[in-house]
Amino acid sequence: MTNKEKYKQAFSVLHTSENFSPEVEMMEKISKKNKIKGIVAGVAAVLTVSGLSTTAYAANLGGIQRQIQLWIHGDQTTATMEIDQGNYTISYVDENGEAKEMHGGGVSLDAFGRERPVTEEEIMDHLDMPDVAFNDDGTIIVYYHAQTIDITDKFNSDGFCFTHVTDGKKNFYMTIKNDGSYGIDSDKYPDTSEFR
Amino acid sequence: MRPSVMELVGKYKNNLYAVAFNICKNPDDAEDAVQDTFVAYFSNRKQFETEEHVKAWLIRVAINKAKNINNSFWRKNKITLDESMETLAFETEDSKQLFETVMKLPEKYRIAIHLFYYEDYTIKEIADILKISESNVKVRLSRGRSLLKETLKEGWEDD
Repeated sequence: MTNKEKYKQAFSVLHTSENFSPEVEMMEKISKKNKIKGIVAGVAAVLTVSGLSTTAYAANLGGIQRQIQLWIHGDQTTATMEIDQGNYTISYVDENGEAKEMHGGGVSLDAFGRERPVTEEEIMDHLDMPDVAFNDDGTIIVYYHAQTIDITDKFNSDGFCFTHVTDGKKNFYMTIKNDGSYGIDSDKYPDTSEFR
Repeated sequence: MRPSVMELVGKYKNNLYAVAFNICKNPDDAEDAVQDTFVAYFSNRKQFETEEHVKAWLIRVAINKAKNINNSFWRKNKITLDESMETLAFETEDSKQLFETVMKLPEKYRIAIHLFYYEDYTIKEIADILKISESNVKVRLSRGRSLLKETLKEGWEDD
């Protein structure tokens, strides 16, 4: 057998699940949901939280609910965020008066390699960091708070781009590789040798 | 030309799944990437010159979607490659070993290797899909092959 034949035989085990059959109607719904997801991705990068040090104003069955400020494409929106066991739900009303909800969550590894739900502080820290979108049309955009930076043509011959973003208080030094990976540091640009 | 989504799902869902799995290393994330890829096609009114052009576009989008999922802090599917492997029914032990060895390669070598050996793309086509130079593709293929040879020995020919 040739290498190609061996490779194809090995990888022929990969196939989508039997019920994978997105119907057009479903795609339309998903398409709408995806647009919301797109906004969520943007929101994640431009989200600032007000009153972080304030006490949660409501709590229900273990979840902690608080009010936050969202920046969506330059428009400031008041939203509520509920965090429960590392998962969050953010609810807000968009510019068309439509109620929107977004969800997320995550786990962290402790010093012993055990998983634990991310804390509220970790969620807030992450939401407040810059984000990079590698878009389908080939454009690469950095989002931070209300800033949108198109870095598509800013990569050097080794495929790296170095971008500094700040809100006047916090500084983020970003090393971004055109293969879809990036690193962020608050003191210096992450070294390119850290990218495999 | 613009084939229907359902036609493309029938033809390419498994190709997209394989390339997404190569990046995500788990079935749920790979399937999410495939779903997102077809949603991107559905939402986008782009016209294509040929069917090969459509397929290459879908593969590029699937790679980007899979990378975005991988980079996401909110990545929800946490199962390991070992757990994923248990669900796969390999024809032979050699196939399993080849699969495992490929999955241990650095991502950039893995993708180039996959597009060459599974999708039969040429170096120029891989360069177009990954938006990198042809010489870069050659380097990735060469290093990937060397690493495969190092582990698989006689199970991988010099080519």
